[in-house]
Amino acid sequence: MRQISPLTLSWILVVALLFPILIVLGIYMRTVQAEQLPSLQSWFYPVMTLHGLGMVGLWFTAPLACVADALKRYVKPSSTIGWLAFGGTVVGIVLLLVCVLVGRFAAGWYFLYPLPLMGGWPQWSTVLFLVALTVLGVAWLLWSLDLLRAIAQRYSLTHALAWHYLAGRNEPEVPPLVLISTVSLIVCVAALIAAVVVIVLFFADMSGGIKTDSLLMKNLTFFFGHVIVNLSMYLGAAVTYEVLPEYTTRPWRTNRVVALSWNAVLVIVLLAYFHHLYMDFAQPTTVQYIGQIASYASSIPAAVVTIFGALLLVYRSSMRWGLASVLFFVGLAGWAIGGVGAVIDSTITVNAVLHNTLWVPAHFHSYFLMGLVLMTLAYFYHCCQGAAAHAERGVSRWWIMGLTLFGGYGFLLMFYLAGALSVPRRYAIYPAEVSYGAGYAGAAAAFAAMFLVGLLWLLGRMWKRWAETSAAPT
Amino acid sequence: MRIIVLSLASLLLSPFIAPSVAAAQEQAAAIFQQKCTACHTIGGGKRVGPDLAGVTQRRQTDWLVRWITRPDAMLAEKDPIAVQLLAESAQVPMPNLGVQESEARALIEYIGAQSAAASAPSTAAPAPVVLPPPSLGPVQRTALILFLLLTVLITVVFIAVAVSTRRPSTVDVKKAYGLRRVFLFVAAGGLLVALAGTLSRTPYPGADSRPDHIVYVAARQFDFYFSLEPIVSVADLSTVPLVKHLELPVGSSTEFRVTSLDVNHNFALYGPERRLLAQTQAMPGYVNRLRVHLDAAGRYQVLCLEYCGAGHHLMQIELTVK
Repeated sequence: MRQISPLTLSWILVVALLFPILIVLGIYMRTVQAEQLPSLQSWFYPVMTLHGLGMVGLWFTAPLACVADALKRYVKPSSTIGWLAFGGTVVGIVLLLVCVLVGRFAAGWYFLYPLPLMGGWPQWSTVLFLVALTVLGVAWLLWSLDLLRAIAQRYSLTHALAWHYLAGRNEPEVPPLVLISTVSLIVCVAALIAAVVVIVLFFADMSGGIKTDSLLMKNLTFFFGHVIVNLSMYLGAAVTYEVLPEYTTRPWRTNRVVALSWNAVLVIVLLAYFHHLYMDFAQPTTVQYIGQIASYASSIPAAVVTIFGALLLVYRSSMRWGLASVLFFVGLAGWAIGGVGAVIDSTITVNAVLHNTLWVPAHFHSYFLMGLVLMTLAYFYHCCQGAAAHAERGVSRWWIMGLTLFGGYGFLLMFYLAGALSVPRRYAIYPAEVSYGAGYAGAAAAFAAMFLVGLLWLLGRMWKRWAETSAAPT
Repeated sequence: MRIIVLSLASLLLSPFIAPSVAAAQEQAAAIFQQKCTACHTIGGGKRVGPDLAGVTQRRQTDWLVRWITRPDAMLAEKDPIAVQLLAESAQVPMPNLGVQESEARALIEYIGAQSAAASAPSTAAPAPVVLPPPSLGPVQRTALILFLLLTVLITVVFIAVAVSTRRPSTVDVKKAYGLRRVFLFVAAGGLLVALAGTLSRTPYPGADSRPDHIVYVAARQFDFYFSLEPIVSVADLSTVPLVKHLELPVGSSTEFRVTSLDVNHNFALYGPERRLLAQTQAMPGYVNRLRVHLDAAGRYQVLCLEYCGAGHHLMQIELTVK
C-alpha cells in the first residue's frame, strides 16, 4: 500500500478547497454576463482578476506538486524547499485575496502595464498585488531550482535532456518524467525571470516614476504568461507518462523520437508566445510570422509524439479502467481538442477576427479544464486509490464522469460558439451589438454548475478513499 | 424541459442560421438600448450606473441633457452631483457617448415614459431587447467548422481506442510507427499548406500602397476619439479638431492610425452585420496602422477588446459608411 506524503496531501487539500471556490467565481461571471445578479455587477472585474490569477496559479502549482511527488521515485527533492514553496503559495494567495476583495484590485491576471497603476483602485492594493507576485515568484523559483538541483544530482544535464538518445544510445535510461520535468523546469525558470523583470519595472515606475516601454512590458508579460500556462500543461503530461503505464501494464519509455520531441518543445515554447501580440501591429512583422510558425510547430510534438504515444499505449492493452485512468485518458483528449482551438487561433488571419473574443477562453479552458485539471485530479486520485486498502468499486464513477464531461464540454461549446459570433471576452455587460452573448453566458453558467457537481462528487469520493486508508490497519 | 431543449437548440444552431431582420424600434428606445443598457436599467435595479426609474423627477431636464451629452466636462468641472454619481458607481465614470442634444431630450422623454410604466402596479418593467446573433463571417465559419470536425475526429479516435481495450492483444510496434509517420506527414503537410495559404494574407499594411483615407484614432479610459490630424497626447484633445460623426465613402480603403493616451486598449471594428471585421491594439507610445476596405454601407461600431479597467465594456464609437 502506497502512502501519500503530507506535502502532497496538503496540496490536494488546497486544490479541493480553492478549485470549487474559483469555479463558483467563474459561474458568477457568466451569470452576470447573462444579465442576472445586477446588484453584484460592479464586482465583475475584481472577481475576473481573482478567478484568472487563482486558476493560473493553482493549475501551475498543483501539477508541479504532482511532478515533485512523482520525481521522488528517481531523485530526492528537498522537503524543506517543498514546504517553503507551499507556505509561500499560501501567503501569496492570502495577499491576493486581500488586495482584490478589500482593495478591489482589478487589473486582470496578466495586468498589462500600465493598467495596475491607472485602474482607479487604491495604490496600496497595487503595491500589495506586486508584493504577492514577488512572494509567489520567489517561492516558485526556489521550488523549480530545487527540483532541477535534485535531477542534476543524479543525471547530468545532457542525460536529463536525453541527448544521448539523439546520438543513438539508450543508456543510462532516463524516464520521460525526468526528461519532461527538466524541459519544463528550465522554461519555468526563464518565465519567472521575465516575471521578476516585469515586477522590478513596475516598482521602478511606482517609486521612481521611471516610465517603461509598453510594448516591451507586453512582450515580457506574455512571455511569462504563455510559458507558465504551457509548461503547466507539460507537467500534466509528465505525470501522465509516469502513471498511465501502471494502468495499461505496458511501458512508456524514452526513445529517440520522444527525446527529439521534448527538446524541440524547449525551443518552440519560447518563441510561440509572439502569437499573443499579433494585433500589436507595431511589433516587427517577421516576429509575427515566427509566432505563427512556432505555434504550428508546437502542435507536432504534442500530437504526433505524446498524444499518439498515449493512444498507442492504451490501444488493445489490458487497461484497468477506473476513475484515475479514465481521467488521464479524457484529459489527453481535452488537451488535443484545446490544442486544435489554439492552433486555429494562432493563425494570424484568423486571429484578426477571433483575438480577445470568447474563442480565447474557449481554447485555453479546453486544455486546462478538460485537459490539465483532469490529469492532475487523476494523479491525486491515483495517490488516494493507491493508498486505499480496497480496490475501487461502485458505479458512481460513471455519474461523476458523465457530469464532468457533459457539463465541461457544454460550458466550452458556449464559449466557442459565442467567440465565433464575435462576442468579446472580459465584458461585464454586453452592449446592444453583442447582446446575444447573454444567452450563451446563461447556458454556460448552467453547464459549469453541472461540472461543479461532478467535481464535488469526485472530491467526496477521493476523500472517502483517503478515509478508508486512514481507517485501515497498518 | 421542452423550453430548455429549444433554448439550447437555438443557441447551438443560431451561428449557422441567417438572422431575421429585427423589428424597427423607436429612435429613443434604440439609442437607449444601444448606449445606455450596458450600465442602466429603468426599474430593473442598479447596474454599474444607477437605476433610471424616476430620474426625470429627481433631476432638472437641463442638467440631465448636459449630463447625457457632456458627462466628461461635468466631471472635469467637479459638478457635485456628477462627483457623487461617480463615487456611487465604484469610480466608473459616465462616458461621453456622442449623444446629441435632440437625442438626449428624446431619451429623457423615453425614460420618463418607461419610469411611469415601471411604477404602475400592473405593468411589468420592459424586458431588455436582445438582438439576434449575426450570421457567421467567412473566416469565423471556417474556423468553427474546422474545429468541430477535428473535435469529432479526436472524440471518435479516443472512443475507438478505449473500446479496443475490450479485446486486449499485443500491438505490432513496427506497424504503429508506420502509422505515426503517416500522421506526422499529414499533420505537418496540413500545417504547411495552412501556413502558405494564410501568411500571405496577414492584416499588416505594406509600404507599397496608399489608402484612400487616413483617420487618426486615440483611445483612453473609456472613450475613442476620431480626428483627421494626429493625436499624441491628452492635450491634443482640446487643440486638434475631433470628428464627432465620422462618415466614409463605401468601397474606400481607410487606414486607422490607432494609439492610446493611457493604458492598452483595442480598436475592434464591427460591420453593419454586427460581425467583427478587423482589429488592432491601441498602445501608449505606439501607432498601429489598421487598413480596412469598407465594402458595405451602413453603421459600423468600434469596441475595445483589450481589458482596460472598470468601464472597459463602455468604450465604443460609431462611424457611418455610405
